[in-house]
Amino acid sequence: MNTVTTIYLDYAASTPVDPRVADVMIECLRPSGAQGNPSSAGHEYGRRARGMVEKARAQVAAAIGARPDCIVWTSGATESDNLAIFGVARFNADRGRHLVSSKTEHKAVLDPLKQLEREGFEVTWLKPAADGIVRPEQVRAALRPDTQLVSLMHVNNEIGVVQDIAAVGAICRERGVPFHVDAAQSAGKLPLNVETMNVDLMSLTAHKIYGPKGVGALYVRRKPPLGLQPLIYGGGQEHGLRSGTLATHQIVGMGLAFEIAEREREQDVERICALRDQLWAGIASIGDVELNGHPRDCVAGLLNISFRGIEGESLQFALRELAVSAGAACSSASEEASYVLRALGRSDQLAQSSLRFSLGRFTTAEQIETAIAAVKREVTRLRSFSPQAANAEKKS
Amino acid sequence: MSETPYSPLVVEHFGHPRNVGRFAPAADVITASAGDPEQGVRFDLSARVHGDRIVAMRFEVYGCPHCIAAGSLLSERLQGATQEQLRRWSWREASDELEFPPDKRGRLLVLEDAVHALATQWQRRQ
Repeated sequence: MNTVTTIYLDYAASTPVDPRVADVMIECLRPSGAQGNPSSAGHEYGRRARGMVEKARAQVAAAIGARPDCIVWTSGATESDNLAIFGVARFNADRGRHLVSSKTEHKAVLDPLKQLEREGFEVTWLKPAADGIVRPEQVRAALRPDTQLVSLMHVNNEIGVVQDIAAVGAICRERGVPFHVDAAQSAGKLPLNVETMNVDLMSLTAHKIYGPKGVGALYVRRKPPLGLQPLIYGGGQEHGLRSGTLATHQIVGMGLAFEIAEREREQDVERICALRDQLWAGIASIGDVELNGHPRDCVAGLLNISFRGIEGESLQFALRELAVSAGAACSSASEEASYVLRALGRSDQLAQSSLRFSLGRFTTAEQIETAIAAVKREVTRLRSFSPQAANAEKKS
Repeated sequence: MSETPYSPLVVEHFGHPRNVGRFAPAADVITASAGDPEQGVRFDLSARVHGDRIVAMRFEVYGCPHCIAAGSLLSERLQGATQEQLRRWSWREASDELEFPPDKRGRLLVLEDAVHALATQWQRRQ
């Protein structure tokens, strides 16, 4: 297959870099850009690089309603999640070893928490309802005097459902428990404000918001200060929370990506929602499909659909003219049915036959029409020789 | 062209599977099934027999591209087969020809079960 003609519908896995972002990054790499080390305050080259890093810090902070000095640069959301979870848990281990999260978090949250369980911490795993949403009262009921952290993603990466972060945050504030939010999938799609959402730690990444891969940030509340043990030790950059020379061109790209995303968010979201509705209407008309997740509390541009009577790998291969994900991209090498869909109560067959379509800034109506036609054609074809047993079982 | 995890023969059969469907119940039609969609694979086979030979084969499948190709290839290979040939049919025949990855060979055992069940069904009819 000629990859040039493949229609990209996998924005939730990673977005293309916006050409405006690429331009400032390339400029940054030129001799006139930022060749100095941002920590070298003693000369012009270093101060110039530092200026660019601080401008980007202000851009990212503005997009989430934070003070710039609360932004810690990292290599991406996975590192941010690790720093938040290990950082808080280990810093406060003497005061308590209980944590709260949900079963449908990203692996970058699940795996650090599982590691902490092996180290003697106790995790309460909340089970979302069939629509994917964790009710704030579930969080309240799970809190204990020794709870040190609640971690909940804003938007689920597989099904796009939106959690009521502000309500959960209010409960955590009331009980004095730090609250971490993985916002990798919501930045640029939903309004973010760490103050009104009562968030103490927020993980962000650039490559899902038309910035470069390999750079992210962790928002860390400063007032009152939040105890956090670093993961990486070295030069003491980022207030000692994340040592290592700052990746200036990456950071500059992330800064502009966040500024553009926030400035253009409303028009982007309106357009992308209309395209998503167009795609869903076209696919739903085939029949025997199920939308996974909440029909309304869902982020713009993401559709997770199960197709009855069709095996997932065959469906994905049949639709290879579309770049879509079967389950989460990070775990698609595994044949295990999506743990997120299983947690929502889907059967193995429906979980295995799910596809995630995710649209973005550069998706066109013409591409959506082409995608609908391809899905209709291939689903009909594959079902034409699917055993009656598969079709009967699936409806039970 | 981007690479796929499937051999050209698998891609060909996946795109153009032969003999799909099922025969309506009749005196000269035998059927057999194996597998479960919840486990990721199911084969439904039906054959029209005349004398000691299969004269036409049909198959339906729920499974990965390798499984669809295996069902299609089998439906071609079993045209003209005898009961004894069905009993002797081994998953290795399809595995070698379609270059099945080792971790998927269990799915061919399901197909082998369906073929052997077809032979048993045929014997009962006689």
